[in-house]
Amino acid sequence: MVKKKVAKVLAFRYMVLAGILIILAGGLVLLPKYEKHEGIKPEQLLSNVISPERYITTDYLADKLISQDPSYLLIDVRDEESYTTYSIPNAINIPLAKLLDEDSEMYLNQDQFNIVLFSNDNFSADQAWILCNRLDYKNLHVLKGGVNMWYNTIINPIKPTEDMPAEAFELFTFRKAASMYFGVAYPEQFKATVVKKVIPKKVITVKKKKKAPAEGGC
Amino acid sequence: MKELEKTKRISIASTLFILIVLIAVLSYERPKHLYKVNSIATLEKLTSADYFVSLSNINNPDYVLIDVRSQFEFEKGHLENAINIYTAEILTDDNSDVFEEIKEKNKTAILYGANPNEVNAPFMLLYQLGYDNIKILAIENSYEENKLISKNVEIEKSVANINAFIEESVKKASKGSKQKVVVKKPRKKTISVKKKKKAPAEGGC
Repeated sequence: MVKKKVAKVLAFRYMVLAGILIILAGGLVLLPKYEKHEGIKPEQLLSNVISPERYITTDYLADKLISQDPSYLLIDVRDEESYTTYSIPNAINIPLAKLLDEDSEMYLNQDQFNIVLFSNDNFSADQAWILCNRLDYKNLHVLKGGVNMWYNTIINPIKPTEDMPAEAFELFTFRKAASMYFGVAYPEQFKATVVKKVIPKKVITVKKKKKAPAEGGC
Repeated sequence: MKELEKTKRISIASTLFILIVLIAVLSYERPKHLYKVNSIATLEKLTSADYFVSLSNINNPDYVLIDVRSQFEFEKGHLENAINIYTAEILTDDNSDVFEEIKEKNKTAILYGANPNEVNAPFMLLYQLGYDNIKILAIENSYEENKLISKNVEIEKSVANINAFIEESVKKASKGSKQKVVVKKPRKKTISVKKKKKAPAEGGC
């Protein structure tokens, strides 16, 4: 008799427990939808976005390009037309509209290369960076000032005036050399080579040998 | 008795489990800010480029001007009727309330900073958090004699045609060198012929 009662109570208990577990499982389904909440937390994104760590200067980039550092990959986020008109050498083109396509992800979401995003100015490149940062892509940088700054510092550097410190002059020499590497020609370059092309005097010595007549009978 | 012990263990284990789950659920804090827009939708908005206003149309009663620079900069000079919300403090409770209020009143928040690049960050952040009633005022701010000077600026404008510049520089440089070559060409080739006389063998044969 005791066993039967116990059995009933136990059965009831189990039903109750099972019922509670099923309700909890149902609750999981109804948890707030996280579909749209992809990526890192907003607070984290904000602090990443505010920090100026992501910027690199045009001088730094020129240095890396000239020394042919293989770990840097340049991505131009302007439209195709601007890219074909002029772009920094060895850059690939991913227009902003195609930034989140599957093909672009292969370039953006990897940790082998350091990627430098650039556009005419910071604006579009920054937008691209923020989008990628939300998706937690690593190793992304932005070229500060973009192609406009590239023009103003590397292609067409400003000559420092007399009252600037020596570092400014060193920087100018570096920039001028960089501009020559990237295709800009200076008149002084050609002057030097012309001087070398002066036709040297050819001195042709014609030797006339006079054989001495055999003298005597030696 | 053995049967009872077994069943007791099972029921104790399952009650404990349920308790733990309940505690976890109750102590779960809903995160304060949740994205309401996913990345692809944000990208579409960015490429549509219809979220800019210029200085001429800011005198609209439906617009609320927000200065995203620091308080120091704000006090140096700001646009009329602008409120100051520093970018780093966008996610604080007070400022979130401000944005909610603006949304409820159906007004548009216009963000501006020292230059459009500064505004990029707060704009994108707010948009992704669900506030789609925001626009960017594309101006550059500078100070002259303690007064704020704002002027409209074009976003992403190319400063120079670099290809043309390079080609021109090559042209200029080679032009200069060509002239010099012309000057130096008509130099006479002087070939001096030296006659060497060998001295006749003298004596001592």
